[in-house]
Amino acid sequence: MIVTRALDGRRVVLFESGLKVRVGDLAALGGLLTAILAAAIVSLTTGTTPITLGDAAASLWRGPDSGDLSFAIWDVRLPRILMGVMVGGSIALTGAMLQSLSQNPLADPGLLGLSQGSMTALMVIFVLFPATPQGVLPLAALGGGLAVGALLIFLVGRGNAGGMAILLMGIAVETSLSSMTSILVLYTPPEVSLALAEWMAGSLFRSSWDSLATFTPWFALGVPAILLLGRSLRSYDMGDQVAMSLGENLPFSKPIILVTAVLLTSAAVSAVGPLAFLGVMAPHLANFISPTSGRARLMLSVAVGALLVVCADMMTRGFAGDIPLPTGLAIVMLGVPMFIVTLRLRAMRRMRGQ
Amino acid sequence: MTRLRYPAIAGTLFIVVAALLANLSFGPSKIDLISVVTALVAFDADDYDHFVVAYQRLPRALIAVFLGAMMACGGAVLQGLTRNPLASPGILGINSGAMLFVIVGAFIFNLPPEWQGVAAIAGGFFGFISCLFVTRMTGMSKDPRGLALILSGAVLSMLYSSVANAIMLASPSRRSDFLSWASGNINHVYVERLIDFWWLGVLGLGVLMMFARPLTLVTLGREKAASAGVDVSRVTWISVCVVVVSVSSAVAICGPIGFVGLVTPHIVRPLVGASFTHALPANALLGAAICLLADLTARTVFAPHVLHTGIMMDLFGGLTFAIIVKRYYLSPGVREASR
Repeated sequence: MIVTRALDGRRVVLFESGLKVRVGDLAALGGLLTAILAAAIVSLTTGTTPITLGDAAASLWRGPDSGDLSFAIWDVRLPRILMGVMVGGSIALTGAMLQSLSQNPLADPGLLGLSQGSMTALMVIFVLFPATPQGVLPLAALGGGLAVGALLIFLVGRGNAGGMAILLMGIAVETSLSSMTSILVLYTPPEVSLALAEWMAGSLFRSSWDSLATFTPWFALGVPAILLLGRSLRSYDMGDQVAMSLGENLPFSKPIILVTAVLLTSAAVSAVGPLAFLGVMAPHLANFISPTSGRARLMLSVAVGALLVVCADMMTRGFAGDIPLPTGLAIVMLGVPMFIVTLRLRAMRRMRGQ
Repeated sequence: MTRLRYPAIAGTLFIVVAALLANLSFGPSKIDLISVVTALVAFDADDYDHFVVAYQRLPRALIAVFLGAMMACGGAVLQGLTRNPLASPGILGINSGAMLFVIVGAFIFNLPPEWQGVAAIAGGFFGFISCLFVTRMTGMSKDPRGLALILSGAVLSMLYSSVANAIMLASPSRRSDFLSWASGNINHVYVERLIDFWWLGVLGLGVLMMFARPLTLVTLGREKAASAGVDVSRVTWISVCVVVVSVSSAVAICGPIGFVGLVTPHIVRPLVGASFTHALPANALLGAAICLLADLTARTVFAPHVLHTGIMMDLFGGLTFAIIVKRYYLSPGVREASR
């Protein structure tokens, strides 16, 4: 491992494998991982029943089904934290990917209606075909997400139509789909529809080891796949034409990346429901922490997304006594101000550019 | 185009009457037209059908008429003034702002129900002004196509309704009183609020009608209007304020319901033309008809379930929104022109 300087004067770590990583990015990633760990510890020890750090550690050490605290630690809090980390990372990664590919700094799987497409497909399966086994759900979600993606491409056309119009089209599709899911909820018994409403708003509340087990394979395959495919994202950031002239096989790689991104979103939606704005926020925050591009930006986005969801989930828990606030609502409340700041910064950059 | 003006207004009047009668006649129990008419002209308190028409269906129908008229006229004026085909009370933050303030007032400040209208109007202004502010902050005035105005409105609406939902979640005991209102429901029990606020809306429409000529001139071109002796900024601000007040009073009655304000002006404009002297009555009538039909669909199609009218409207609202984005912003001609 050698620390050296790149052409632009930045310090770079050169591994023997030939992998180049900027020192600043490494530091930022390390800091974020520490912050996630700290947030997880806080999340594990606070809540309706506070648990001291020592007791929590002891319970973790002893394993599940051991004593009074093991229910709170092992069955409630730990699955939620793990789910938050994985789902947050996945959605943030998808957002960062979509932003690079579409050259639109505001792209987000939630705003574009992809998450809602998955949600509607899940609702159709849930309400109309209740006997369907659990394992099929992510596939149904994938179908819904891909259908919305195809619909958007069909509606917007292949040309560069202007990012705002794509977003508005996504919002339109989302509005119609979410009212369709609301209609479907009518046909379920009241106790089911309450849980469904929670899920539709996006909630970590019902995360369990079962739902973790369903989501983990998708996360474990999807995130590395996108990170690998994101090898040449630096060239995507500069636009289709530059990427092509740098030797990217866009007609081949772009659809694969898009499908993988939708796959990851769909699996996340079938685990916790749609979380809008996370995909917009996380890459911008990552960029703010360490201005970078390419794969480093993707990795930082994953870490920021995980941190955001774990923190948002903590916020929702102590909300009003025993009532959990849906995580989706908390993220919208955090995310909209962030989104507006993003729009403002973008406008300022545009003005400076002119 | 203008040849169609009077036939179109007469036609919408006919549709409104037909929709009204259908609304009074269909439902869990079908009441034939003769009893509906006799219930209206010669009410007999002992007849159960008359009771249903007068105390359950007529209040709903009147609320739908009020809502439709306010939202459609508001949408027409906002689309004219912002020169944006996507502008409507629902997308520019008025609906969700009014909803947020009603919820904050009721849950946090324990306002009595009589104050709901005041809270809604304050919220409507808050929603609209914050939308303008965010748009200006993000450089909309530089964007010739006005898309940032719509985007910031859509995003702020999400924020306001999320905060309102969170506040409702926090107090489960009172939540059920507001839950159905907050998701946009026309319900006959809300008729008391209609009795409280109807005059605000009617007054608003009256002021807009008085302003119809100068308002038309302003929407056709600010410079031309100014040279014709119209005080452009005065007309703009008064009509915007009137729109916010009348739309918010409708939200205070039956919750935030979108779509009518977006779509009605698009149907009316090709038939009646741009002059508000004719477009406002036509919008009011057609908006009322759309709301009556949506309410009828929401009650009957999914029977025995009664759907919230707001959900029904969102379903079609999203589709219309997509069509308008496609037509005005993504068609090849427009794309070339905006480059």
